[in-house]
Amino acid sequence: MGNKKPESKEVEQYKQFEKNFETKRPVFKNCLKAFLVGGFICMVGQAITYFYIYFFSFTEQTAGNPTVATMVFISMLLTGFGVYDRLGQFAGAGSAVPVTGFGNAVISAAIEHRTEGFVLGVGGNLFKLAGSVVLFGVFSAFVVALIKTILIKLGAI
Amino acid sequence: MKKALTLTFITTLTVLLTSCNSDATQHSGMSLIQKSDPDPIILDEKTEKDHKLVASIKKDVAKFDELYDVAVIKGDEEILVAYKVKHMQRFHMVKIEGEINKMLEEKYPKENFIVSSDYKIFLEAVELNDKMKDPDFSEKDAKKKLEEIIKLKKELT
Repeated sequence: MGNKKPESKEVEQYKQFEKNFETKRPVFKNCLKAFLVGGFICMVGQAITYFYIYFFSFTEQTAGNPTVATMVFISMLLTGFGVYDRLGQFAGAGSAVPVTGFGNAVISAAIEHRTEGFVLGVGGNLFKLAGSVVLFGVFSAFVVALIKTILIKLGAI
Repeated sequence: MKKALTLTFITTLTVLLTSCNSDATQHSGMSLIQKSDPDPIILDEKTEKDHKLVASIKKDVAKFDELYDVAVIKGDEEILVAYKVKHMQRFHMVKIEGEINKMLEEKYPKENFIVSSDYKIFLEAVELNDKMKDPDFSEKDAKKKLEEIIKLKKELT
């Protein structure tokens, strides 16, 4: 990967030429949108956490589980109604990074493969996108737990 | 699109509102967002010594700059100390809890403390405080409520 051949003069010229016509990505604007929408989703999550603490017997520690479930459920409904896709187009990572993005990934795959049947279509493809989230989530949790265990055994924590 | 949005909003609102089973009073209701400073409660024999003890515990805990609200409940065997941590100090919650525990154990070695920074525990403590003002609320009920709070505190997931 590292030992790339030096590009010819024509290629470099073309790249320079292309750059002049390329639409510039509004990185700052995108970041701002992602920040605001992501922040808004987190604010809704925080409100739901307080709702569970206030009206049910959940503590701050235990309220996280029903909150995540509720947020995923709401995003699944919104995906089904076609609202979350528009939000995703507008906010990008701001709507994909929070846990609601997980619900969106599951349901959009289910909708896409619905025509292929329930077993091979929906069942087989439900975790097509979300599978990587589950895999890397579990793997990184394993790595972090391993590091913590080693540090505890060494007496560092 | 608009219909779908309205439907999602109404569904969410209905689910969130109809499931409320709050018996929280006005006073405890506001304690999540503002300082309530509840008086210390003693559930078993109310001797002069006990009054002094709980007042002294509350004063000692309130001395911590990182906290802004402290509730103390003295039961038969255990003393529950619930407090709210200032927003920006919430990053140091574990450290603060450790310091409070250490201070209490050193100063009151004979007492058995349960220390919590959880909003729910604080909310329940304030609610118990409010209920104690009601003459129909018996000491037995109060002890039962305290047991429930302690059980909540010990619950992890």
